[in-house]
Amino acid sequence: AHTVLYITGLQFVLKLTPHTPAASPSVPGQEDIQAAMPVEELDPSHYPATRAAKVAEHFINTRYGSPFAWFGSSGVKKAGLEVRAKLHFTLKEMTRNQDMGLCSAEVLFHRADERKPPQVQCTCSGAFQVNTSAEEEDLYQRLRNATSLLSGSDIPNSVGHIDPEMAPFWHLGGVASSFIMLRESNESTLLNMAHIDNFTQMETKDAQLMFQYDILLHDMVSQEILKWKLLLSWSPDGGVKVLEAEWDPKCRSCERAHLTVTTGIAAEQEMKGDNNNV
Amino acid sequence: MRALLVFTAVFVAVFGQETFEGHQVLRITAKDDAQITLLRGLPELELGIDFWMEPTHPSLPVDIRVPSQSLKEVKMFLESNDIQYTVMIHDVQNLLDEEKRQMLKARAVQPRNTDDFDFANYHTLNEIYDFIDMLVVENPHLVSKIVIGQSYEGRPLNVLKFSTGGSNRPGIWIDTGIHSREWVTQASGTWFAKKIVTDYGNDPALTAILDKMDIFLEIATNPDGFAFTHSQNRMWRKTRKPNSGSSCVGVDPNRNWDAGFGGGGSSGNPCTETYRGPKAHSEPEVKAIVDFVQAHGNLKAFVSIHSYSQMLLYPYGYTRTPAKDERELDELAKKAVNDLTSLYGTRYKYGSIITTIYQASGGTIDWTYDQGIKYSYTFELRDTGFYGFLLPANQILPTAKETWLALMAIMEHTNANPY
Repeated sequence: AHTVLYITGLQFVLKLTPHTPAASPSVPGQEDIQAAMPVEELDPSHYPATRAAKVAEHFINTRYGSPFAWFGSSGVKKAGLEVRAKLHFTLKEMTRNQDMGLCSAEVLFHRADERKPPQVQCTCSGAFQVNTSAEEEDLYQRLRNATSLLSGSDIPNSVGHIDPEMAPFWHLGGVASSFIMLRESNESTLLNMAHIDNFTQMETKDAQLMFQYDILLHDMVSQEILKWKLLLSWSPDGGVKVLEAEWDPKCRSCERAHLTVTTGIAAEQEMKGDNNNV
Repeated sequence: MRALLVFTAVFVAVFGQETFEGHQVLRITAKDDAQITLLRGLPELELGIDFWMEPTHPSLPVDIRVPSQSLKEVKMFLESNDIQYTVMIHDVQNLLDEEKRQMLKARAVQPRNTDDFDFANYHTLNEIYDFIDMLVVENPHLVSKIVIGQSYEGRPLNVLKFSTGGSNRPGIWIDTGIHSREWVTQASGTWFAKKIVTDYGNDPALTAILDKMDIFLEIATNPDGFAFTHSQNRMWRKTRKPNSGSSCVGVDPNRNWDAGFGGGGSSGNPCTETYRGPKAHSEPEVKAIVDFVQAHGNLKAFVSIHSYSQMLLYPYGYTRTPAKDERELDELAKKAVNDLTSLYGTRYKYGSIITTIYQASGGTIDWTYDQGIKYSYTFELRDTGFYGFLLPANQILPTAKETWLALMAIMEHTNANPY
């Protein structure tokens, strides 16, 4: 299914009781959590809560995002941080401005290894019952039966305009980007999709439709624009999947290629290097 | 050539009242000299044919305008002689009408006064500068333009001064567009300028403020960057000053101020978006404001406007030490945000920069606050990441209007609480 989810309002915080090793069952991922770490209650309007909420948002999009539904956030009500953030928030489907009810999520940041993506668990009361199946089927059939492959570019354009026929592909790009943004997030990032430079439908032999996207992500914390190439597949039954993703380290804001970049990871660290927050 | 012929046709149509309805222009490709000879004989058929490109040589196209009543005959002639042609213009009159429409439209895009200015759309730097000049001309007793300096590339740094008189009255400063890609801010700034002149004398609250205080508004605070977002890179943020020893251009003007300069939350790498510059106030765009503020000496509020995130922020960004006036700043922020939200329900967060958004050193309002300008605030306007910097034009007016309510709250409080 496809919807793009944004967190609208975080409702309340669950205070985590300190974790004691003896009582803990062996749960995958819990090996990273230090024993007896006290819970820090977070101010809902401060950035740790906001950033954790954004991660939960991306997680939800990867599970439930769609060319016909894109959810948005409005505000954190309460949050608590151990190594993980526990959040409660209201969810909204942005393309229809539809309230989706209450969700609760746990976002676990791997402080020991920032390159490990955050782990998220999330449940929502209303579930993601956005009925998009008719539109999805319609779009799918139109694309399957078309005689030429679809492409588009500059979405949104400089003045924020999106052609109505391009909107589902904008949402699709956003949902696919969430896979990357989820993986790339840590406590020092806040990622959004900034722009779709272009997308092209690719030939496929199977039921999935395939698209190549050139997108720009924006990290609010470093303010950097990050260029990514994505190969993704979509069908109403198969959902959205990212098959390949490649980061282009060439600095968008530079006249020429970034001179000191040798590897993708080195460049990433260089870009983030001076912005290590206290 | 075709343009000249079209112009002539327009001229004739306008002044000769001739109509070209249904006329077509055919492009003919003669394959040999024999066909060229045939084509040269067309005028003798007295079908009203007008050569736009005379028949000369088989390798060159022959363009003819054919009146509607002769079309059938001409096409039969060509086809029966096996002469290839295509219809280049299906209806000459349509083309003339369309070009006339375009010409009128092009003139209409240039507003002749600020009432005709399209506030619900994004504009170029020149359009904004023209707007500024028109506003001054239309309101000579309220508005003047001060050029506080020049950008790196030599563009004037224009500041609008709204004043009802007095001498060095306490002032309120508002700037938009310091980060050039944040287009909704310059667009809102333009609207604020018009709002001020409209409301003075009509809105009691704004009138009361202007009777005691001056307002300074810099709409395009980073004009080089703004021009670059139009011409080359919509996502450009920084200034456009080259950096010695690097191929990367530009300094982040909101990390270049002398407040915690060089600290965490700013970068020493010229290729990054938060590069602080070689030294504090190295950027002429920043230095101009620094000089203005210090020369004025009597500013009581300073508001620097950015996008996006939907936040109202007060100092500090460079340190976790709370500002001395944090209680008051926080209460005022709360009121301002409530007023903003009251219009369309847009939700904002508020708090100090360092706790609410991120650590940022060398920032504008940290410097202005430490200069003694107590009511120093930064806005982050719509949205929260859905469109980001590429906010649709249809959100300009709602954004400007709701933000104005928050600005009024800050200005009213400043006016009511002299210090």
